[in-house]
Amino acid sequence: MATHRSSRWSQRRLAPWLFLAPGALLFLLYVIIPIGQSVWISFYDWDGLGAATWIGLRNYADLLDDDSFYTSLRNNVWWLVLYLLAIPAGLAIALFLNQTVTGIRLYKSLFFFPFVISQVVVGLIFSWFYAPDFGLLPRILGFLTGTETAILADERYATFGIIAAGLWPQIAYCMILYLTGLNNINPEQVEAARMDNARGFAMLWHIVLPQLRPATFIALVVTVIGALRSFDLVSIMTAGGPYGSTRVLSYFMYEQSLSEYGTAMGYGAAIAVVLFAIMLVFISLFITRMLMQERNA
Amino acid sequence: MADVTLRAITKSFGDVRIIKGIDLEIADGEFCVFVGPSGCGKSTLLRMIAGLEDITSGSLSIGGREMADVEPAGRGVAMVFQSYALYPHMTVRDNISFGLRMTGHKPADIEARLRRAADMLQLTHLLDRKPSQLSGGQRQRVAIGRAIVREPQVFLFDEPLSNLDAALRVQMRTEIGKLHADLRATMIYVTHDQVEAMTMAGKIVVLNAGAVEQAGSPLELYHRPRNLFVAGFIGSPRMNFVAGTAAPAAHGRIEVVLGDGARVLLDGRGATVTAAQPVTLGIRPEHLTAGGGGLRATVRLAEYLGSETMFYAQLADGSGIAVKADGLAKAAAGSTLDIGINPAACHLFDKDGVAVIHGDLTR
Amino acid sequence: MFPRPIQKSPPWLQLSYKALLPVALVIWLLPLIGIAVTSVRPSSDLAAGNYFGWPSRFAGVENYASVFQNSNIGWYILNSFKVTIPTVIGAVGLSCLTGFALAVYKFRLNLAVFFMFVAGNFVPFQILAIPVRELTLRLGLYDTITGLVLFHAAFQTGFCTLFMRNFIKALPFALIESARVEGVSEWKIFRHIVLPLMRPAIAALSVLIFTFVWNDYFWATIMAQSADVRPVTAGMNELKGQWKVAWELITAASIVAALPPVAMFFLMQKHFIAGLTLGATKG
Ligand SMILES: Nc1ncnc2c1ncn2[C@@H]1O[C@H](COP(=O)(O)OP(=O)(O)OP(=O)(O)O)[C@@H](O)[C@H]1O
Ligand SMILES: [Mg+2]
Repeated sequence: MATHRSSRWSQRRLAPWLFLAPGALLFLLYVIIPIGQSVWISFYDWDGLGAATWIGLRNYADLLDDDSFYTSLRNNVWWLVLYLLAIPAGLAIALFLNQTVTGIRLYKSLFFFPFVISQVVVGLIFSWFYAPDFGLLPRILGFLTGTETAILADERYATFGIIAAGLWPQIAYCMILYLTGLNNINPEQVEAARMDNARGFAMLWHIVLPQLRPATFIALVVTVIGALRSFDLVSIMTAGGPYGSTRVLSYFMYEQSLSEYGTAMGYGAAIAVVLFAIMLVFISLFITRMLMQERNA
Repeated sequence: MADVTLRAITKSFGDVRIIKGIDLEIADGEFCVFVGPSGCGKSTLLRMIAGLEDITSGSLSIGGREMADVEPAGRGVAMVFQSYALYPHMTVRDNISFGLRMTGHKPADIEARLRRAADMLQLTHLLDRKPSQLSGGQRQRVAIGRAIVREPQVFLFDEPLSNLDAALRVQMRTEIGKLHADLRATMIYVTHDQVEAMTMAGKIVVLNAGAVEQAGSPLELYHRPRNLFVAGFIGSPRMNFVAGTAAPAAHGRIEVVLGDGARVLLDGRGATVTAAQPVTLGIRPEHLTAGGGGLRATVRLAEYLGSETMFYAQLADGSGIAVKADGLAKAAAGSTLDIGINPAACHLFDKDGVAVIHGDLTR
Repeated sequence: MFPRPIQKSPPWLQLSYKALLPVALVIWLLPLIGIAVTSVRPSSDLAAGNYFGWPSRFAGVENYASVFQNSNIGWYILNSFKVTIPTVIGAVGLSCLTGFALAVYKFRLNLAVFFMFVAGNFVPFQILAIPVRELTLRLGLYDTITGLVLFHAAFQTGFCTLFMRNFIKALPFALIESARVEGVSEWKIFRHIVLPLMRPAIAALSVLIFTFVWNDYFWATIMAQSADVRPVTAGMNELKGQWKVAWELITAASIVAALPPVAMFFLMQKHFIAGLTLGATKG
């Protein structure tokens, strides 16, 4: 009897590990361990086929002398900063659409639409939209300013053109987060605030936004991650050009190690590690906040 | 035999000790009620008996078997949760029979038990509904049915009636009472409603801050509360407490001088006090009379309930006192009331709150 | 409700709001409308510089037909399905288990394991790319559907676990305790009580993961080479190079490639949004 009992109790102790095993092992194998391996590879000179030579921090030192690295880094900062505009823009559209008129559901879906489309297609759409001679935007700009600009061919504007393309689905994503948040606002609080004569911006700032904080947090997380992950659009729209001016770290790494001619595994790994380190700052912030919520729960 | 015995049971969550050493005997077939203020550890104690929380130290036995290492299902207990915990995706039938099916009972046996429980609880016509299609009282009965079919030796209820409206609560109270009479199983019932405790219990256990203040029959707790906490917790309306000093008087009696100088002479019943000992006099509102007494108070509020009148008055030292008077009694707010005290009904507590004299009218 | 319901505004404001809605929508979707129109233009229009006017005739049928005839796009779409569907099943299935483990059991490493999944889900792909490609090569799965599926399923398990764990945590725990008191084994609690209640979460995650994986471009590019493995996103890039300025074909192909997730979205909108906005309302 005693052994029977303890076996049932240890079943409860063992159970979580049995439930976890398949998913956690696969995740370790394909996600967690590779992170460590990449860090390791970044200390080597390796072409992906032959023998690897330990070169310590040389790859990182080389990065510091590489203009492409600085271009990529600068572009990443632009991505990050400008991508954050998606949050207020998404909020604005959500506020605009948060009404109950006929057909509003369809409007909401259609406004959300760009997020569902693959970034490859978004990239193609915007390439077409920006295309010199016949693209819609150069036409509009030509009409307004008198000169048609080939945005993606111009080093000054190309990165911003790509970021604008990326903002399109990202705004849609933030919008849907806020629409759900608005939907769940406690109407009594809004009414009470109305009795207190709060309206317009004061209402938004003091009553509505605090209740939208969870939505804002998620919007911030997905926007930061989305900005740093930017790869697809750069690859589709300019392939890093013109003259490498639209490279970001993720694309730079791809060029060095993964593309047809890229064989600098160690160097690419070092770029990835830098990108990862930047991301880690944000990941740590997010996790700290989530952890605090867990503790309070 | 399914008596439940707790010996020096403690429970800590992290560093915080929630249950502080509880000794308790619950006899086979007894209806035992745990009462106490919110957060005192009633649910925790019940869940420890169920095996849902492990015991930090001490020993628990059910029917003479030590339970510390026995998983919940092996303890012969069934539990009815406050939220009912009905499986929302299953019909009433499946809800009730789920545990039996999962533990390999024979279909015929399951069916028989299901019928019996459904009959007993008048659920037969509801068997094919989902919980969402039931009223609160019906859900409650399904939750009880789920406990019954397992034919446990001990039933555990955690505030099962708190989600029901007042009328339904009274009805379910009698139904659970009847169930106890029919099944003769040991039942442990948690509530913070002292009326529920008084009406249902064979034995009440008053808990406070993780410790037992007193355990006994409802009337024993009413007449002979061991301390201020129990005296204040059991009985509705609440017992009045008036501060004063006690001194020995002739013939073994004790004289209590209240704050405003009023004097009450109590039968000492063998208790001794020192001269000018600070005490608290406890007297229930129903043992006071409005008018004709020696305790002078100013009426602050009168509640005319028809069958009775409640006066809430203030003594000269500022302390409040409630008097339950005849339904025809009248006094305006602000008027003076001379309250009469029945000395035989007075409880006396020393400065630690421990009862020195019980105002037990049954003696 | 905020902002104040438009119904409480003066009639002229209500009217202008209703008029503004379609205008705003058209501006918002202008790029999309543009390519939709282009995809039904005859190529002669483009040659003649008619980029914006009304198409001279409706050439949708021939453009779309020619997309399928002159390219492998049909195969690419099939490949995308072959990658996406098993990934959805794998990731959602695995995360039902992991989510249950993390939501229901208290053990010392619980939060650590949970945050491993959460953090892993946020990392940039590039930090995984070289080792994952090496691993896939060594397993002999490079340039196979299986290789892609294994990686995607593993990676998406991170997000799915976050989702499932929070979903199960929000279920009343008394349901599980109640079953435990009844002697139901842990596996049966999972199978008969928790799993049936997870249906909405499974639906939400399925559509979401379907879209994520369908739209993946990076892994499709670096893990697939041959045409019978290449998913449609990578295929599109190839077609873009091949067709150069035949925009009527590129746009038509884009629309074809975007269609499955779009259809998924419109069919399962409620679940899709529930998935995306996970936690946006509470916690
Ligand atoms: N898992 C836990 N971790 C930490 N503290 C807990 C936990 N469960 C309960 N407590 C604490 O233990 C104390 C007793 O809780 P318990 O639920 O037993 O109270 P209760 O008497 O049933 O109250 P109520 O009448 O409100 O149901 C409370 O102070 C509570 O905060
Ligand atoms: Mg409780």
